[in-house]
Amino acid sequence: MPALRIVLHKTLNTLLFTLVTALLLAQALPVREYQLKAVFLFNFTQFVDWPASSFATEQSPLVIGILGENPFGSYLEETVSDEKVKGHSVVVHYFKNTEEIKICHILFINLAETKKREQAAETLKGRNVLTVSDAIDFLKQGGMIRFFTRDNKIKLQINPEASKAANLVLSSKLLRLADIFDPSKNN
Amino acid sequence: MNNSVTGKRVHNPVPASAIFFFLFSLLLITYPGQAQDTLLSFRTLKKLSLEELMSIEVISVSKRMEKLITAPSAIQVITGEDIRRSGATSIAEALRLADNIQIGQKNAHDWAITARGFNTDLANKLLVLIDGRTVYIPLFSGVFWDRQDYLLEDIDRIEVISGPGGTLWGSNAVNGVINIITKSSKDTQGLYLETGGGTELRHFTGLRYGGMLSSKISYRVYGKYFDRDNSVFPDGNDAPDSWQMGQTGFRMEANLSSKNAFTFQGDYYNGELGLSTGGKTKVTGGNILCRWTHTFSDNSYTSLQMYYDRTYLAQPVPESRSGDNTFVLAPAGMLKDGLNTYDFDFQHHFRLGKLHRIVWGLGYRNTHDKVQSAPALAFSPSVLSRNLFSGFVQDEIMLMKNFSFILGSKVEHNDYTGFEFEPNARIQVNISNKQTLWGAVSRAVRIPSRVDRDIRLPTPAFSPIIDNILIGGANFKSETLIAYELGYRAQLGSKVSGSIAAFYNHYNHVRSTSLSPPPATLGFPLFYENNLKGETYGFELSITCQVVDWWRLRSGYNLLREDIRVKTGKTDFNNALNETADPPHRFSLRSSMGLPQNIELEVGLRWVDVFHYNNSGVQATVSNYVEAGIRLAWQPTKRVEISVVGQNLLNNRHTEYVISKPNPPTEIERSIYGKIICRL
Repeated sequence: MPALRIVLHKTLNTLLFTLVTALLLAQALPVREYQLKAVFLFNFTQFVDWPASSFATEQSPLVIGILGENPFGSYLEETVSDEKVKGHSVVVHYFKNTEEIKICHILFINLAETKKREQAAETLKGRNVLTVSDAIDFLKQGGMIRFFTRDNKIKLQINPEASKAANLVLSSKLLRLADIFDPSKNN
Repeated sequence: MNNSVTGKRVHNPVPASAIFFFLFSLLLITYPGQAQDTLLSFRTLKKLSLEELMSIEVISVSKRMEKLITAPSAIQVITGEDIRRSGATSIAEALRLADNIQIGQKNAHDWAITARGFNTDLANKLLVLIDGRTVYIPLFSGVFWDRQDYLLEDIDRIEVISGPGGTLWGSNAVNGVINIITKSSKDTQGLYLETGGGTELRHFTGLRYGGMLSSKISYRVYGKYFDRDNSVFPDGNDAPDSWQMGQTGFRMEANLSSKNAFTFQGDYYNGELGLSTGGKTKVTGGNILCRWTHTFSDNSYTSLQMYYDRTYLAQPVPESRSGDNTFVLAPAGMLKDGLNTYDFDFQHHFRLGKLHRIVWGLGYRNTHDKVQSAPALAFSPSVLSRNLFSGFVQDEIMLMKNFSFILGSKVEHNDYTGFEFEPNARIQVNISNKQTLWGAVSRAVRIPSRVDRDIRLPTPAFSPIIDNILIGGANFKSETLIAYELGYRAQLGSKVSGSIAAFYNHYNHVRSTSLSPPPATLGFPLFYENNLKGETYGFELSITCQVVDWWRLRSGYNLLREDIRVKTGKTDFNNALNETADPPHRFSLRSSMGLPQNIELEVGLRWVDVFHYNNSGVQATVSNYVEAGIRLAWQPTKRVEISVVGQNLLNNRHTEYVISKPNPPTEIERSIYGKIICRL
């Protein structure tokens, strides 16, 4: 009965794989919120295409910016150190306020005041910057990706209209895994 | 009185040094020496797919905790995770995790709980709310801790605020407020099953299922049952006070849009509680609550809440006897009480310009109480309906970037004393985002309850010479407090945080007992007046140290000094002893460790100083004690948790509290239980 043996073998393999994954995830406890968010920010570089024009040269680094207070400590720098994305090294820059923002590909906005966030969104209009924040109404204000937690797990909400407007191409995989923001329904 | 309550213990008290040695050797033995194992490395994290990243649970270094550092009051927060790690089996046990709360277990099912003193038999100066529903009982002016329960797994947090909270919470928030907040039904999805048993908690089972009705409507239903063993009399014999209780409930949440959220929840419980004097009390009750939150913008939201609560008890009241035990004054019988509460509450939070953060609200509550009196314990009138109207406003003014001034008041109208005002003024100085200094002056009141006004202890055997031993005071008025507080919180480096809150409280019109003037026979009946006043002062110190990622130490110390006395020219039958039963010093130490292989080890230690209570106008004493508990847990997979918990391990049995006569004193025994949790 070779067919039965194959089925058994496959079942065992699946079980083993599930067990290993479960053990791996169980050991994941505890992970710090911003440690995980730092990895998410870095991962976005794999799922977003920036226009070539957003890099000065082919060797120019990909810049992840933090606007406002830095909640990551050293996590973000530890995540991106020694990493390359399509030939570009990855660096982290910190900006106190909107005026300081220069070249930047991903911007994590951590400003408490709604007005300042709106001001940042206004300044970034037309530039190829992927904007990310924890703020509840961030997507309504023209932001692209919002982190939120459900059952103590980090989830994503995405505003595809906003990323399209900034000439960024988000992979379908990223969009499939995230909650999609629909401006017509949430107003 | 029995010898055992005056300090003669059967066993040797364990010297403090021995306990410290024990604890520290335990810590050393279990030192794993590989701290990194418990944190996933970046390398591992980066290898995971987006899906896997989204399924990892994070320690929430939440906004709430950051806010705590800057909170301008003596607030401590017990998280659901703290409760799980502690091995607590009831809300009362979980409250021991807050350093600013004072707890004495009376018997198998009753606890005396207060903040900053006045922990009498019916402690009446602490307001307790569960999901915004007040569980302070206006019949006995206190909280029946034996019927405040929940599936502990589904409690999100317990906020414990010591100090007055009258402005926001209203009357009876005199010495503190406890806010028990359950999890959102979105956060309790799936199946949860717990079961286990042991020497005192003989058996328990809890079950919850949470699901989604649509992408916007989540729900959960739960049920639990437990059976607790008796406590013991000082001679070691069983006190017949075992406790069986079941509770079930649901919660449903609809987030229909980003602006409107609805919560609908209810609970039902039914239980039997043995009494050390014999017989069983039956309790049953339930509640139903709905809340609508509407968000206008980031800076403005309203909430509208309504609930109905019913609680009923049927309790045997033993016969009452004369002081020398020779005469039966009243035969035994049953006291039955049904209390219905209807409550309506509206709040609006908004910002006015850049400087003002305002919250205001309106409330109405009706309580309808129906008593069927026992021969020895009665209430007159037997049926009573009371209305409470309230309104409040509080403004937080950001005078400078780091300096806020908070001013507000509640105005209430109750059927006993008319209008009551509960204002407070606070200042908050954020020295940096890691340090806050705050100060407050507040007024709070405890309005009369049915005990103060309507109670009767009849003596039919002596009627008509003496009709009652004790009656409520027809003119009993509100007890008042003016409190002065000063506090400091700091995050010292990345590992240590601490807080200290000092208080000076001035009380007036505190309850006293007076003899009736002639022609009353021998001064009977005694009746309640407001002849006491006095001051209390002290401080609450709490320090948390995250030694390494996997090990947290937390320690608390409380000092409480009291000077409660009879007002000049007045009298008190109890010599000002009846309203206090408070240890002057308390100390606690708790170690929480997350060890490799998903093992958790928690060790808690508490020391409570000697305290005095009233024994018919004479001072009696409960000895000091040290107690400790340990929880060892293992999660073989993410879905299963196995734990063993030892409680009150240092003594065979010990006394924490003595209820006034005719209840004989009972002692709490050492206990151990095992528990299995399954999450699917």
